[in-house]
Amino acid sequence: MNTNLKISNVTKIYPGCIANDNVSLEFNSGKIYALLGENGAGKSTLVKILSGVIIPDEGKIHLNENNLQLNSPLDAKKNDIGMVFQHFNLFETLSVFENLIIDSDEQRESLREKIDSIMKKYNFSIDLDIPVLNLSAGQKQKVEIIRCLIRSPKVLIMDEPTSVLTEQETSELFLSLKKFSEEGILIIYITHKLKEVMQLCDEVAVMRRGKLVSVSQIKNENLESLANKMVGQRLKTIKKKKANISSDQLIKITNLNFISEDPFETNLNDINFSVNKGECLGIAGISGNGQSELFQVLSGEILSDKNSIEFNKNYIGDLNPQERREYMVAFSPEDRLEQAAIPQMKIFENVALNNFKSSNFFNNGLINEKKIREHSKKIISDFNVNTDNIDLKSQFLSGGNLQKLIMGRELITSPDLLICFNPTWGLDVGAINYIHETLIKINENNKSIILISTDTDELLKLSDKISVINKGKLSKIMNADEVTSEKLGVLMGGGEID
Amino acid sequence: MIIDINFVGLIITSIMASAVPLILASCGELITERSGVLNLGVEGMMIIGAISGFALMTVTGSLFIAVFGAMLAGVLISTIFAFLTQTLITNHVATGLALTIFGIGISAMIGKNFVGIPGKEFPVLFNSLKDTIPFLSPILFGHSIVFYFAFALPFFTNYFLKKTKIGLIVRAVGDSPESASNQGINVRLVRYACILYGGAMCGLAGAYLSMIYTPQWIENMTGGRGWIALALVVFSTWNPIKILIGAMIFGGLTIIQFHMQAMGVRIPVQFLTALPYIVTIVVLVVISRDSRKIRLSTPSSLGKSFYKDN
Repeated sequence: MNTNLKISNVTKIYPGCIANDNVSLEFNSGKIYALLGENGAGKSTLVKILSGVIIPDEGKIHLNENNLQLNSPLDAKKNDIGMVFQHFNLFETLSVFENLIIDSDEQRESLREKIDSIMKKYNFSIDLDIPVLNLSAGQKQKVEIIRCLIRSPKVLIMDEPTSVLTEQETSELFLSLKKFSEEGILIIYITHKLKEVMQLCDEVAVMRRGKLVSVSQIKNENLESLANKMVGQRLKTIKKKKANISSDQLIKITNLNFISEDPFETNLNDINFSVNKGECLGIAGISGNGQSELFQVLSGEILSDKNSIEFNKNYIGDLNPQERREYMVAFSPEDRLEQAAIPQMKIFENVALNNFKSSNFFNNGLINEKKIREHSKKIISDFNVNTDNIDLKSQFLSGGNLQKLIMGRELITSPDLLICFNPTWGLDVGAINYIHETLIKINENNKSIILISTDTDELLKLSDKISVINKGKLSKIMNADEVTSEKLGVLMGGGEID
Repeated sequence: MIIDINFVGLIITSIMASAVPLILASCGELITERSGVLNLGVEGMMIIGAISGFALMTVTGSLFIAVFGAMLAGVLISTIFAFLTQTLITNHVATGLALTIFGIGISAMIGKNFVGIPGKEFPVLFNSLKDTIPFLSPILFGHSIVFYFAFALPFFTNYFLKKTKIGLIVRAVGDSPESASNQGINVRLVRYACILYGGAMCGLAGAYLSMIYTPQWIENMTGGRGWIALALVVFSTWNPIKILIGAMIFGGLTIIQFHMQAMGVRIPVQFLTALPYIVTIVVLVVISRDSRKIRLSTPSSLGKSFYKDN
């Protein structure tokens, strides 16, 4: 049976921001629809309205001519709308089966049979009796999908489903989605990744700043046209020039090990690499394979053997982050609001937190506020942070502006080495471009970068050398121009290449 | 020295009796905490239960009304906590502490008129069987209904959490209120219910103290048992069976150190009094070492306010 989903004139206003501005869209089953837009474009709000999590201020939703009143997620479920959220809605400490039975009215045995038949049909293999926290991201997503399929939905919404998947898992997901679509499930696919839209979808709706910008057939679009629609202006393409990298070694990691006491962290196993001056070493991998542990060991949050890290002919393995900063190493952690900045503190206070001795932010234990303020203003103007109020609490900066501020804070003393972890995570295309330009500039000034990232395209664009981390082990280090994203995908999944 | 087997039985019985309020309060608080709510008001809710039970018994003369009323008093005071933390989204820790201070104060005020009044005898079950088997019968028979209830409670609690749908929902809410809410579970309702249940159990624990264990009203008579109950929940890693073990060890050492003091054992009194606290915590820490299991049974959202915005 054909399914028709119609959104008419949906509006949702938050204080200071119009998340959805009079959006109208129509979907029919048999096709896969893409909802494309940058962060904050309003696509997540729209699908949350469809799944009953958010109640719109205005507008109507019709499924097969029936007007739906979606006041809670239960209403959406009852009306055969299934949704897989970007941040999984799973209970980590419960078993897979417990996660599935919790919102089902069926008996244990019949539900088990049903799950088994779904898994067989789509070739999923998941142990139902282990806690969810032991699953990989791809498996967790499958649990979410099974949860939707149990209710035989008419509509399946996927919110940024590939952000945590490997290439291999992504192509598996696409196969499944195509299968679902052939079986008559209407699929709405939310993403900001253009390649995926071109690969998977039939029709694309682009949103920008809460408004629907265009609806078109994929066959009439290409990567560039979609990018321009999404951003609303022409994007310049950034490319790293092939630089002459010196042979002077800056940092050398030898036999670095880290055994964690926390069973949910990853152990690091015999890490060896070196970075020369002016070079960018990219470290790829699926998140949760030891990247955050590696970052912490490199930054000094976790101390290691003194001799395992040699920097500019000094052994610094046993130094804390502050002491490492004195050797002109700078850090940009993954979690901007938890690790890199303190959200409740003002911009200039956050700037002072990274206190190189040379910066003289403190005199005899007193804060030299004037100096810090001057310094902060310089960072804001040099690094294009879109505010002129350094008394603003940093939690009110957008992700892009906060990342620029953090980068600025780290870079204004022109350190010899910048270690960054997912620097463009969750940023929009404009901000990503700016951060990439900044990173390229660092290399051009003969300074070095260690870039730990889960974004393969970013790594291929910026790195001179690339290695892959898998289960706490580093692959061999390859020259970036010999690597393709397919090769990286194999290594990231734990495979071997020659 | 010949140890009388019946004397040992009596000691075990007194140990079990002293463990009852700890088991009741801990099992109640365990359900509250499993839903992600940290209620530090256990001591306050217990003492309110104690005075309510004793006062109602003296005024109405009905033991049933008194016990039921004490539980209701626990529910009422925990409703304040629930309203503040779940509806007004106040901080769990501060609100819980306030509840304890409030409970101790108001119980002392109400209790003024009840100091020195003797309690009533509480009926016991299976009293006729008390002399049938040596050693075992005094342990098994001749106790109040609250006593039997307390020793069954950890097993019921375990069954409830592990095997029932509602227990699963409680654990789910404690694990991730956001996910639960997105699954259509009414997080606030679940948490309200768990807080109120915890209040009822603490009220019952208090009533046991003032009506059965030492049938009289003394100001501040809970004497820190609420805090021990809280500690038991954490150190048992939210496992009701381990709560039972912990409560028995604590009760046991409290009783034994009294006997040791009475027998004139030459160990400093301060050390003996501290012993139950130290040993209970050490034992529970040792039996709950498995960090994987800790991670699996710790409610991840414990003490964090949940606020749904749409």
